[in-house]
Amino acid sequence: MNQDEFGFRVRQALNEGAERVDYRTVLRLEQARGRALARQRRAGPATVRLPALQLAAAGAPPVDGSRGAWGWLRGAGWVAPLLALAIGFVAISQWQEELEIKRLAALDFAVLLDEGPLEAYADQVFGVLLQDEQRAER
Amino acid sequence: MATREELSEFLAGVERRAFKQAVFAVRDESHALDIVQDAMLKIAEHYGDRPAAELPPLFTRILQNAIHDFFRRSKVRSTWVTLFSSLNPGDEPDADPLETLEASGDVRTESTESSYEREQIVAIIEEEVARLPARQREAFLLRYWEDLDTAEAAAAMGCSEGSVKTHCSRATHALAKALRERGITL
Repeated sequence: MNQDEFGFRVRQALNEGAERVDYRTVLRLEQARGRALARQRRAGPATVRLPALQLAAAGAPPVDGSRGAWGWLRGAGWVAPLLALAIGFVAISQWQEELEIKRLAALDFAVLLDEGPLEAYADQVFGVLLQDEQRAER
Repeated sequence: MATREELSEFLAGVERRAFKQAVFAVRDESHALDIVQDAMLKIAEHYGDRPAAELPPLFTRILQNAIHDFFRRSKVRSTWVTLFSSLNPGDEPDADPLETLEASGDVRTESTESSYEREQIVAIIEEEVARLPARQREAFLLRYWEDLDTAEAAAAMGCSEGSVKTHCSRATHALAKALRERGITL
Protein backbone atom coordinates (compact mmCIF):
# COMPACT_ATOMS: atom_id res chain seq x y z
CA MET A 1 0.00 0.00 0.00
CA ASN A 2 1.40 3.37 -0.92
CA GLN A 3 1.55 6.42 1.32
CA ASP A 4 -1.49 8.16 -0.20
CA GLU A 5 -3.66 5.07 0.11
CA PHE A 6 -2.61 4.58 3.71
CA GLY A 7 -3.31 8.24 4.38
CA PHE A 8 -6.75 7.91 2.84
CA ARG A 9 -7.63 4.96 5.06
CA VAL A 10 -6.44 6.71 8.17
CA ARG A 11 -8.48 9.70 7.09
CA GLN A 12 -11.62 7.57 6.92
CA ALA A 13 -10.95 6.31 10.44
CA LEU A 14 -10.34 9.81 11.74
CA ASN A 15 -13.54 11.06 10.13
CA GLU A 16 -15.44 8.28 11.88
CA GLY A 17 -13.81 9.28 15.15
CA ALA A 18 -14.75 12.92 14.63
CA GLU A 19 -18.38 11.92 14.07
CA ARG A 20 -18.41 10.15 17.42
CA VAL A 21 -17.55 13.19 19.48
CA ASP A 22 -19.71 13.17 22.61
CA TYR A 23 -22.73 15.43 22.85
CA ARG A 24 -21.24 17.72 25.50
CA THR A 25 -18.37 18.54 23.21
CA VAL A 26 -20.73 19.04 20.29
CA LEU A 27 -22.77 21.41 22.42
CA ARG A 28 -19.72 23.40 23.47
CA LEU A 29 -18.53 23.58 19.89
CA GLU A 30 -21.93 24.91 18.85
CA GLN A 31 -21.77 27.52 21.60
CA ALA A 32 -18.28 28.53 20.51
CA ARG A 33 -19.49 28.82 16.94
CA GLY A 34 -22.39 31.01 18.06
CA ARG A 35 -20.04 33.31 19.97
CA ALA A 36 -17.75 33.55 16.96
CA LEU A 37 -20.61 34.37 14.60
CA ALA A 38 -21.83 37.07 16.96
CA ARG A 39 -18.45 38.74 16.62
CA GLN A 40 -18.06 38.28 12.89
CA ARG A 41 -16.28 41.16 11.28
CA ARG A 42 -18.47 42.85 8.73
CA ALA A 43 -17.16 44.83 5.79
CA GLY A 44 -17.95 48.48 6.43
CA PRO A 45 -19.26 50.95 3.83
CA ALA A 46 -16.70 51.74 1.18
CA THR A 47 -14.91 54.90 2.31
CA VAL A 48 -11.94 56.61 0.72
CA ARG A 49 -9.33 57.87 3.12
CA LEU A 50 -7.97 61.30 2.31
CA PRO A 51 -4.98 62.96 3.93
CA ALA A 52 -6.05 65.25 6.79
CA LEU A 53 -4.55 68.38 5.25
CA GLN A 54 -6.25 67.83 1.95
CA LEU A 55 -9.55 67.41 3.75
CA ALA A 56 -8.98 70.52 5.82
CA ALA A 57 -7.95 72.54 2.80
CA ALA A 58 -11.05 71.58 0.95
CA GLY A 59 -13.14 72.28 4.01
CA ALA A 60 -15.33 69.47 2.81
CA PRO A 61 -17.13 66.82 4.84
CA PRO A 62 -15.84 63.22 4.74
CA VAL A 63 -16.56 61.13 1.69
CA ASP A 64 -19.11 59.02 3.52
CA GLY A 65 -21.06 62.18 4.32
CA SER A 66 -20.91 61.90 8.11
CA ARG A 67 -19.48 64.79 10.08
CA GLY A 68 -18.97 62.85 13.31
CA ALA A 69 -17.91 64.23 16.68
CA TRP A 70 -15.04 66.24 15.17
CA GLY A 71 -17.07 67.50 12.25
CA TRP A 72 -16.94 71.09 13.54
CA LEU A 73 -13.13 70.93 13.47
CA ARG A 74 -13.11 69.80 9.86
CA GLY A 75 -15.52 72.58 9.03
CA ALA A 76 -13.07 75.14 10.37
CA GLY A 77 -10.96 74.51 7.26
CA TRP A 78 -7.63 76.40 7.24
CA VAL A 79 -8.21 78.34 10.41
CA ALA A 80 -8.06 75.62 13.04
CA PRO A 81 -4.72 74.01 12.10
CA LEU A 82 -3.04 77.40 11.55
CA LEU A 83 -4.34 78.72 14.83
CA ALA A 84 -3.15 75.59 16.63
CA LEU A 85 0.27 75.93 14.99
CA ALA A 86 0.59 79.59 15.99
CA ILE A 87 -0.44 78.89 19.58
CA GLY A 88 2.09 76.08 19.68
CA PHE A 89 4.93 78.32 18.47
CA VAL A 90 4.10 81.04 20.97
CA ALA A 91 3.87 78.55 23.83
CA ILE A 92 7.21 76.95 22.96
CA SER A 93 8.86 80.34 22.64
CA GLN A 94 7.50 81.47 26.02
CA TRP A 95 8.62 78.28 27.66
CA GLN A 96 12.14 78.52 26.25
CA GLU A 97 12.39 82.15 27.34
CA GLU A 98 11.24 81.27 30.83
CA LEU A 99 13.86 78.54 31.07
CA GLU A 100 16.62 80.87 29.92
CA ILE A 101 15.57 83.53 32.43
CA LYS A 102 15.60 81.01 35.26
CA ARG A 103 19.00 79.71 34.21
CA LEU A 104 20.54 83.18 34.08
CA ALA A 105 18.95 84.14 37.36
CA ALA A 106 20.39 81.11 39.05
CA LEU A 107 23.81 81.83 37.59
CA ASP A 108 23.72 85.48 38.68
CA PHE A 109 22.69 84.47 42.13
CA ALA A 110 25.52 81.97 42.39
CA VAL A 111 28.04 84.60 41.24
CA LEU A 112 26.70 87.05 43.79
CA LEU A 113 27.24 84.50 46.53
CA ASP A 114 30.64 83.68 45.13
CA GLU A 115 29.48 80.10 44.76
CA GLY A 116 29.43 79.94 41.02
CA PRO A 117 29.93 76.43 39.80
CA LEU A 118 33.03 75.69 37.75
CA GLU A 119 30.84 74.94 34.76
CA ALA A 120 29.67 78.54 34.85
CA TYR A 121 33.11 79.70 33.71
CA ALA A 122 32.92 77.41 30.73
CA ASP A 123 29.55 78.83 29.81
CA GLN A 124 29.72 80.93 26.71
CA VAL A 125 27.16 83.42 27.95
CA PHE A 126 29.05 83.89 31.19
CA GLY A 127 32.28 84.46 29.24
CA VAL A 128 30.65 87.16 27.19
CA LEU A 129 29.28 88.73 30.36
CA LEU A 130 32.76 88.88 31.94
CA GLN A 131 34.23 90.44 28.79
CA ASP A 132 31.49 93.08 28.77
CA GLU A 133 32.19 93.87 32.42
CA GLN A 134 35.96 94.15 31.74
CA ARG A 135 35.32 96.47 28.80
CA ALA A 136 33.03 98.61 30.95
CA GLU A 137 35.69 98.90 33.67
CA ARG A 138 38.25 100.14 31.13
CA MET B 1 -17.44 38.50 1.67
CA ALA B 2 -18.57 35.43 3.63
CA THR B 3 -22.12 35.80 4.86
CA ARG B 4 -23.05 34.77 8.38
CA GLU B 5 -24.58 31.58 6.96
CA GLU B 6 -21.46 30.76 4.98
CA LEU B 7 -19.22 31.29 7.98
CA SER B 8 -21.56 29.24 10.16
CA GLU B 9 -21.62 26.42 7.63
CA PHE B 10 -17.86 26.51 7.31
CA LEU B 11 -17.28 26.41 11.06
CA ALA B 12 -19.84 23.65 11.53
CA GLY B 13 -18.02 21.63 8.88
CA VAL B 14 -14.58 21.95 10.41
CA GLU B 15 -15.18 22.23 14.15
CA ARG B 16 -15.10 18.53 14.98
CA ARG B 17 -11.98 17.87 12.98
CA ALA B 18 -10.39 20.94 14.53
CA PHE B 19 -11.34 19.70 17.97
CA LYS B 20 -9.85 16.27 17.30
CA GLN B 21 -6.66 17.79 15.95
CA ALA B 22 -6.34 19.92 19.05
CA VAL B 23 -6.99 16.87 21.24
CA PHE B 24 -4.27 14.93 19.43
CA ALA B 25 -1.89 17.80 20.05
CA VAL B 26 -2.66 18.84 23.62
CA ARG B 27 -4.13 15.57 24.98
CA ASP B 28 -6.81 17.41 26.90
CA GLU B 29 -10.37 17.89 25.72
CA SER B 30 -11.00 21.00 27.77
CA HIS B 31 -7.90 22.75 26.47
CA ALA B 32 -8.71 21.52 22.97
CA LEU B 33 -12.15 23.12 23.17
CA ASP B 34 -10.61 26.38 24.33
CA ILE B 35 -8.19 26.28 21.42
CA VAL B 36 -10.94 25.65 18.87
CA GLN B 37 -13.09 28.39 20.37
CA ASP B 38 -10.16 30.77 20.25
CA ALA B 39 -9.51 29.90 16.60
CA MET B 40 -13.20 30.38 15.74
CA LEU B 41 -13.32 33.77 17.42
CA LYS B 42 -10.16 34.90 15.66
CA ILE B 43 -11.33 33.93 12.21
CA ALA B 44 -14.72 35.54 12.78
CA GLU B 45 -13.34 38.74 14.27
CA HIS B 46 -10.42 39.29 11.96
CA TYR B 47 -11.33 37.52 8.75
CA GLY B 48 -15.12 37.44 8.88
CA ASP B 49 -15.25 39.85 5.96
CA ARG B 50 -13.16 37.62 3.69
CA PRO B 51 -14.68 35.56 0.87
CA ALA B 52 -15.83 32.10 1.94
CA ALA B 53 -13.22 30.44 -0.29
CA GLU B 54 -10.40 32.00 1.72
CA LEU B 55 -11.62 30.68 5.05
CA PRO B 56 -10.28 27.08 5.03
CA PRO B 57 -6.54 27.89 4.71
CA LEU B 58 -6.92 30.80 7.11
CA PHE B 59 -8.64 28.64 9.70
CA THR B 60 -6.03 25.91 9.32
CA ARG B 61 -3.28 28.42 9.97
CA ILE B 62 -5.10 30.03 12.87
CA LEU B 63 -5.76 26.65 14.48
CA GLN B 64 -2.11 25.59 14.15
CA ASN B 65 -1.03 28.90 15.65
CA ALA B 66 -3.52 28.50 18.48
CA ILE B 67 -2.08 25.06 19.25
CA HIS B 68 1.46 26.43 19.18
CA ASP B 69 0.40 29.33 21.40
CA PHE B 70 -1.03 26.86 23.87
CA PHE B 71 2.34 25.15 24.15
CA ARG B 72 4.16 28.47 24.42
CA ARG B 73 1.89 29.56 27.24
CA SER B 74 2.27 26.19 28.92
CA LYS B 75 6.01 26.57 28.73
CA VAL B 76 5.87 30.02 30.23
CA ARG B 77 3.72 28.74 33.06
CA SER B 78 6.20 25.94 33.53
CA THR B 79 3.57 23.29 32.96
CA TRP B 80 6.25 21.26 31.28
CA VAL B 81 4.41 18.06 32.09
CA THR B 82 2.46 18.46 28.86
CA LEU B 83 5.61 18.84 26.84
CA PHE B 84 7.24 15.99 28.68
CA SER B 85 4.33 13.70 27.95
CA SER B 86 4.34 14.60 24.28
CA LEU B 87 8.01 13.67 24.13
CA ASN B 88 7.43 10.45 26.05
CA PRO B 89 4.03 9.30 24.92
CA GLY B 90 4.59 5.86 26.40
CA ASP B 91 4.24 7.30 29.88
CA GLU B 92 1.14 9.33 29.05
CA PRO B 93 -1.70 8.33 31.37
CA ASP B 94 -4.25 9.67 28.90
CA ALA B 95 -2.94 7.26 26.33
CA ASP B 96 -4.24 4.31 28.29
CA PRO B 97 -6.32 2.29 25.82
CA LEU B 98 -8.70 1.27 28.62
CA GLU B 99 -9.80 4.87 28.92
CA THR B 100 -10.62 5.06 25.26
CA LEU B 101 -12.52 1.81 25.39
CA GLU B 102 -14.41 2.99 28.43
CA ALA B 103 -15.29 6.28 26.77
CA SER B 104 -16.62 4.54 23.72
CA GLY B 105 -18.60 2.09 25.83
CA ASP B 106 -21.70 4.29 25.79
CA VAL B 107 -22.27 3.62 22.15
CA ARG B 108 -21.58 -0.09 22.44
CA THR B 109 -25.08 -1.05 23.46
CA GLU B 110 -26.48 0.45 20.27
CA SER B 111 -23.83 -0.96 17.98
CA THR B 112 -23.43 -4.25 16.27
CA GLU B 113 -20.40 -6.39 17.06
CA SER B 114 -18.62 -5.37 13.88
CA SER B 115 -19.24 -1.68 14.38
CA TYR B 116 -17.91 -2.03 17.90
CA GLU B 117 -14.76 -3.60 16.51
CA ARG B 118 -14.52 -0.78 14.01
CA GLU B 119 -14.93 1.69 16.82
CA GLN B 120 -12.05 0.09 18.66
CA ILE B 121 -9.91 0.27 15.56
CA VAL B 122 -10.73 3.95 15.13
CA ALA B 123 -9.86 4.58 18.77
CA ILE B 124 -6.52 2.82 18.37
CA ILE B 125 -5.75 4.77 15.20
CA GLU B 126 -6.56 8.03 16.98
CA GLU B 127 -4.35 6.99 19.84
CA GLU B 128 -1.45 6.23 17.56
CA VAL B 129 -1.93 9.45 15.61
CA ALA B 130 -1.80 11.32 18.91
CA ARG B 131 1.46 9.55 19.75
CA LEU B 132 3.24 10.78 16.62
CA PRO B 133 5.82 13.52 17.14
CA ALA B 134 4.11 16.93 16.91
CA ARG B 135 5.47 18.09 13.56
CA GLN B 136 4.94 14.69 11.93
CA ARG B 137 1.38 14.58 13.17
CA GLU B 138 0.74 18.13 12.03
CA ALA B 139 2.05 17.43 8.54
CA PHE B 140 0.22 14.11 8.27
CA LEU B 141 -3.12 15.54 9.37
CA LEU B 142 -2.85 18.58 7.15
CA ARG B 143 -1.99 16.48 4.11
CA TYR B 144 -4.31 13.54 4.59
CA TRP B 145 -7.10 14.76 6.81
CA GLU B 146 -7.38 18.40 5.82
CA ASP B 147 -6.57 17.38 2.27
CA LEU B 148 -4.07 20.18 1.71
CA ASP B 149 -1.43 19.79 -0.97
CA THR B 150 2.22 19.93 0.00
CA ALA B 151 2.56 23.66 -0.70
CA GLU B 152 -0.54 24.53 1.33
CA ALA B 153 0.57 22.34 4.22
CA ALA B 154 4.02 23.96 4.11
CA ALA B 155 2.41 27.41 4.23
CA ALA B 156 0.22 26.39 7.16
CA MET B 157 3.17 24.91 9.05
CA GLY B 158 5.58 27.68 8.18
CA CYS B 159 8.19 25.32 6.75
CA SER B 160 9.43 24.10 3.37
CA GLU B 161 7.61 21.64 1.15
CA GLY B 162 10.53 19.26 1.55
CA SER B 163 10.03 19.25 5.30
CA VAL B 164 6.34 18.48 4.86
CA LYS B 165 7.16 15.52 2.63
CA THR B 166 9.74 14.23 5.08
CA HIS B 167 7.40 14.61 8.07
CA CYS B 168 4.56 12.91 6.17
CA SER B 169 6.71 10.01 5.10
CA ARG B 170 8.06 9.46 8.61
CA ALA B 171 4.58 9.78 10.10
CA THR B 172 3.17 7.24 7.65
CA HIS B 173 5.89 4.71 8.40
CA ALA B 174 5.69 5.23 12.15
CA LEU B 175 1.91 4.97 12.14
CA ALA B 176 1.84 1.87 9.96
CA LYS B 177 4.43 0.19 12.16
CA ALA B 178 2.60 1.08 15.39
CA LEU B 179 -0.71 -0.18 14.00
CA ARG B 180 0.86 -3.40 12.75
CA GLU B 181 2.25 -4.02 16.21
CA ARG B 182 -1.26 -3.67 17.60
CA GLY B 183 -2.62 -6.12 15.05
CA ILE B 184 -4.21 -3.58 12.71
CA THR B 185 -3.49 -3.59 9.02
CA LEU B 186 -5.18 -0.93 6.94
